Amino acid sequence: MDAVSQLQRQFVEYTTSLYREGYLDDQFTQLQKLQDESNPDFVVEVVTLFFEDSEKLLNNLTTALQQENIDYKQVDAHVHQFKGSSSSIGAQRVKNVCVVFRNYCDEKNLDGCVLCLQQAKNEYILIRNKLEALFNLEQQILQAGGSVPMMA
Amino acid sequence: MASPLTQIFNRISATLHSSRRNHSPSQRTPRGNINQEKFRCYSVCVARLAIMAMLAILIGLLTLLTWHFTKVYTRTSLNALAYGLRYELLQRPMLRMWKILNSTVEITTSQVKLSEYVIRKYSRAENQAQQIELYEVMRDVTWALFASHKALNSMSIKYRNGFVQAFHRDLRDKNTYYIYSNLYNYTMIGPYDSNQTSSNQGWNDQMIHGNISAIWYREPLDPDTGRKTGKQKEIPPDELLNIAGISQVPDGAASWHVAVSKFTNSPLLSAALPVRDEGGGSIVAVVGVTTALYSVGQLMKELVELHGGHIYLTSQEGWLLATSSSTPLLRNSPSGPTLMMAVDSEDEIIQSGAKWLDKAYGGQLPVNRKLHTAAARLGHERYYIDSFFLNLTRLPMVGVLCIPRKYIMGKVDARAFKTLMILISASVCVLVVGCICIFILTNGVSKEMKLRAELISHYDARRKAEASSNFKSQFLANMSHELRTPMAAVIGLLDILLCDDRLTEEHYSTITQIRRCSTALLRLLNNILDISKVESGKLVLEEAEFDLGRELEGLIDMYSVQCKKHNVETIIDLSDDMPKVVRGDSGRVVQIFANLISNSIKFTTSGYIIVRGWCENLKSLSDNENFYVDQKALWSAFQKRLKRQGLHEKNTSCKNDNTMILYFEVEDTGCGIDPSKWESVFESFEQADPSTTRLHGGTGLGLCIVRSLVNKMGGEIKVVKKNGSGTLMQLYLLLSTPPDIPRESYRLKFSQLNLKVVLALNGTMSRTILSKWLLKLGVPIWEANEWNELTRVLQEIFKPTNYSKKNEFFLIVVDIGLLNLSTDIWKEQLNFLDTFKKVAKFGWVLNHDTSNTIKIELRRRGHLLMVNGPLYKAKMIQIIEAVKKETSPELTVNTEQLTFFKDAEEAINDEEKGKIGKKCLEGLRILLAEDTPVLQRVASIMLEQMGATVVVVGDGAQAVEALNKSADWTADCTADCTPYDLVLMDCQMPKMDGYEATKAIRRAEMESESESGSHIPIVALTAHAMSSDEAKCLEVGMDAYLTKPIDCKLMVSTILSLTKTQEADDN
Repeated sequence: MDAVSQLQRQFVEYTTSLYREGYLDDQFTQLQKLQDESNPDFVVEVVTLFFEDSEKLLNNLTTALQQENIDYKQVDAHVHQFKGSSSSIGAQRVKNVCVVFRNYCDEKNLDGCVLCLQQAKNEYILIRNKLEALFNLEQQILQAGGSVPMMA
Repeated sequence: MASPLTQIFNRISATLHSSRRNHSPSQRTPRGNINQEKFRCYSVCVARLAIMAMLAILIGLLTLLTWHFTKVYTRTSLNALAYGLRYELLQRPMLRMWKILNSTVEITTSQVKLSEYVIRKYSRAENQAQQIELYEVMRDVTWALFASHKALNSMSIKYRNGFVQAFHRDLRDKNTYYIYSNLYNYTMIGPYDSNQTSSNQGWNDQMIHGNISAIWYREPLDPDTGRKTGKQKEIPPDELLNIAGISQVPDGAASWHVAVSKFTNSPLLSAALPVRDEGGGSIVAVVGVTTALYSVGQLMKELVELHGGHIYLTSQEGWLLATSSSTPLLRNSPSGPTLMMAVDSEDEIIQSGAKWLDKAYGGQLPVNRKLHTAAARLGHERYYIDSFFLNLTRLPMVGVLCIPRKYIMGKVDARAFKTLMILISASVCVLVVGCICIFILTNGVSKEMKLRAELISHYDARRKAEASSNFKSQFLANMSHELRTPMAAVIGLLDILLCDDRLTEEHYSTITQIRRCSTALLRLLNNILDISKVESGKLVLEEAEFDLGRELEGLIDMYSVQCKKHNVETIIDLSDDMPKVVRGDSGRVVQIFANLISNSIKFTTSGYIIVRGWCENLKSLSDNENFYVDQKALWSAFQKRLKRQGLHEKNTSCKNDNTMILYFEVEDTGCGIDPSKWESVFESFEQADPSTTRLHGGTGLGLCIVRSLVNKMGGEIKVVKKNGSGTLMQLYLLLSTPPDIPRESYRLKFSQLNLKVVLALNGTMSRTILSKWLLKLGVPIWEANEWNELTRVLQEIFKPTNYSKKNEFFLIVVDIGLLNLSTDIWKEQLNFLDTFKKVAKFGWVLNHDTSNTIKIELRRRGHLLMVNGPLYKAKMIQIIEAVKKETSPELTVNTEQLTFFKDAEEAINDEEKGKIGKKCLEGLRILLAEDTPVLQRVASIMLEQMGATVVVVGDGAQAVEALNKSADWTADCTADCTPYDLVLMDCQMPKMDGYEATKAIRRAEMESESESGSHIPIVALTAHAMSSDEAKCLEVGMDAYLTKPIDCKLMVSTILSLTKTQEADDN
């Protein structure tokens, strides 16, 4: 039981740090709220979807920015989509990068775009690692027989 | 001329260089402005200098030219004149000389001829007597000639035998003498002897000089008659004069020479001619004539006396013959007086003139040439020197004239000098004046330049300020968008939290509090967004028909809740002629009033807040003169506005003739606004009293937004004077009304009813207004404002004696607040009222916090006619209508039915009270078009939790397809409703975006309208929050608009309002 409570405390601390450091925002909490008996793995599902979608989008963006004549409209659409999905799971920092990215897109500033893409990738990998760690913890708690504490 | 010019140019260029030098290093310093100023100064300075220099050059040139031309012309003309004068001056003494010579020659010749004649006559002189006779005759002849020529100095005849006869005029003592030699000493020499001997040999000076013993006599004579006047005197020979002897006529031809006598101090001109005997043989006598040159000198003196010049005559060799000066012409030498050279003359001028000539021509005067010089420097003065050569065979002569230049040119030179001086001083004056003028003028110009530069800089500054203000607005717009998103999330999450059943009461209240605060914060953000929208010109007003009265009543309902707490009455008083439906932006109109009312509530602690409204038709307004002063002012302001906006506005207002001016007043009994602040309260961030911020909070944006909106709607707002404390705001709006909206005539209806009303209401104002209105409609009323009064009134009315007529019926409207609810007395009171149930209908005005027990009790007792306060006309009409129909319980006018039309926001409020049911979307089928998988999942889970059935499609094209399929399906199954109740449409999607999809769906609906006539609600989902996006969404045919991330509460309420409307429409 001690292990479970320790794990739980660890989970709570980790989650709080994620919020405090701005990796996540309330939207993620809202997602967690939406998870109930009928959709037990809802958060994991959505986040996985986000990962897949993001990787696809980032690849698209990378190729789009390597083109000879860059179709900024296309890039902008991708970034917009990326922003939408990231804001929906509450990946705040990714979203913020996307906002800056779109501004550069509007200015047709290639250097800025490339820089932002790099940042977006970094942020994305960061949030992915963080979330994966979070889910691991969750799994551990579940396996240990505890219940995942709700973040209010 | 050239050197001063170059100097000026050098100076100018030096100034330029220096200014440039000063300027160029400072340009690199950041304080460019000051340097620019400096440079401007320099450039002005240089321009000034240049102009001045040009002026100086111009004036200088003009002066010099003027001076030069005047001088040259006068000089040349004067020179010509002077030349003539000089020539004349010189010519005359020469002529005189010439004349003298001529006359001398003539006399000599005539004397010779006469002598020849006489001597021939007496050539055969036999004796002494005859000889003497000859001499007598000769004397008479000679006298005759001598007397006839006064100018002659002497006349002599020397005979061969040595006898001399001579006449002499002494010029010093004016005496005339006859001089002759002693006759007796001469031997009678026969002329033949001389004939025989050669004339060359017979005569020589030796003979004369040898005849030394001869005695000479002198007799003074009367100069006129020639008679002897005195005794003869003996004189030594050759004492008085030179007697021309044979030596002077060696070749027998006439001879000239200049002689000098002891007795005159002027040289004498003597001529000699031989007298030959008959046949031209030998010379028998020599005739000599001397003429003094004195007269020539005299003439010269007279001539030049006037001119101050000098004339002199010299022989070719340079011996001075005559001068105009009175200096002696002769020099005393040991051998007697001799002639003097001109260079030795005692007269300085003559001497120096002669020297000058010598020097100039080396003593070799050009023969036969006249000489004219204009510039010879003699002494200290300049002279004109002219010489003239008189070429006589024996005696060539040279005349020289020296005239001081001063005499001829002196005046001219002086004049020229004066002119030059005057010109120079004049030009200097002109130059100085010109420079001053230039300075003054350019000073003005430079000032103007400075002003202009300042103006430009101000303009720049203003533009910058405008730009920065623009940036500010832009920034605010963007920022508030960014801020809204987290706020929405906060509120949404709070809503979710509130749904949680497991919350304790304490938690619940805290969360409710947080939610209220968040809403307030969001409202503030919205305000800022509004302001920045207005300022950045992005605010676009909708044009849609809406029920103004209903909107305002809803607003009053909303605020009455708040007011009840403050014990403040909220009243709405709209005149009956207000159009039911107007075109405009309902949201913004409501916002105006919401701001005004909330403002009033903030400052009103007791009393009432009243919203009045009336209207004027634009056309009929000008005919109506009876509106009061404030209105008049408003009207004139409005007319001004119309004029300002010009034809455009007029056209649009005339196109649909029924543009209305809607006047409103919002009056409260609060603390009021100081008159000095009446204007400024409408400014941004301005509050009437800074201390109010502490008391009431707020940012001071509300009224600013109100004014912006009112102005946008073609109206104006202002604070006007009010009797008593409080504030009275007046505003008008220009809104058009759709044509042919029928107006119900309440008057007709109610008067038919034969209705009587008892108004038992707490609020004095609302009661008064309602009673006035009802009275106007012809409905008799009674009023009561407390329970005791009500009982009194009721007992009065329903006294069995009075109450008789059957066909009239009573309506008793009772405010629940009249009952004593704090204790259980209210049940007693209800019992009392129940006694009148048979004769009258009851309408209950409830409060929002009226407890359910009371409601239930009322219902139990059969009081089904209940409305929520506050009571206003529309509700009154509802009650009366209900009463009129003798309503059954099912048709009871209750809160829901009265307010089901309320907008989405109110729906939230309503639902808030009872908490959102978890399954409020039960049974709805929703089509979600969203490309992002994450969002797809989130949204569908959200909706499913609410109980809705969600079908997810990936893009717009699929959405259209799905709808079409469902339509087909509907058609096949002949179902009454479409399978989808609502579509949630993301705006940005691949393949077909939300806008396109919506258009396609609406088109399809149009086509199939004849069959089904359906209109599926489409809600946009977008990450943008600007009104332009909203406008775009609504434009393509969407019904509502949600921003990402999805706010669960808002989404639900939106969906509910839309589907409800749908149902209502369907019904």
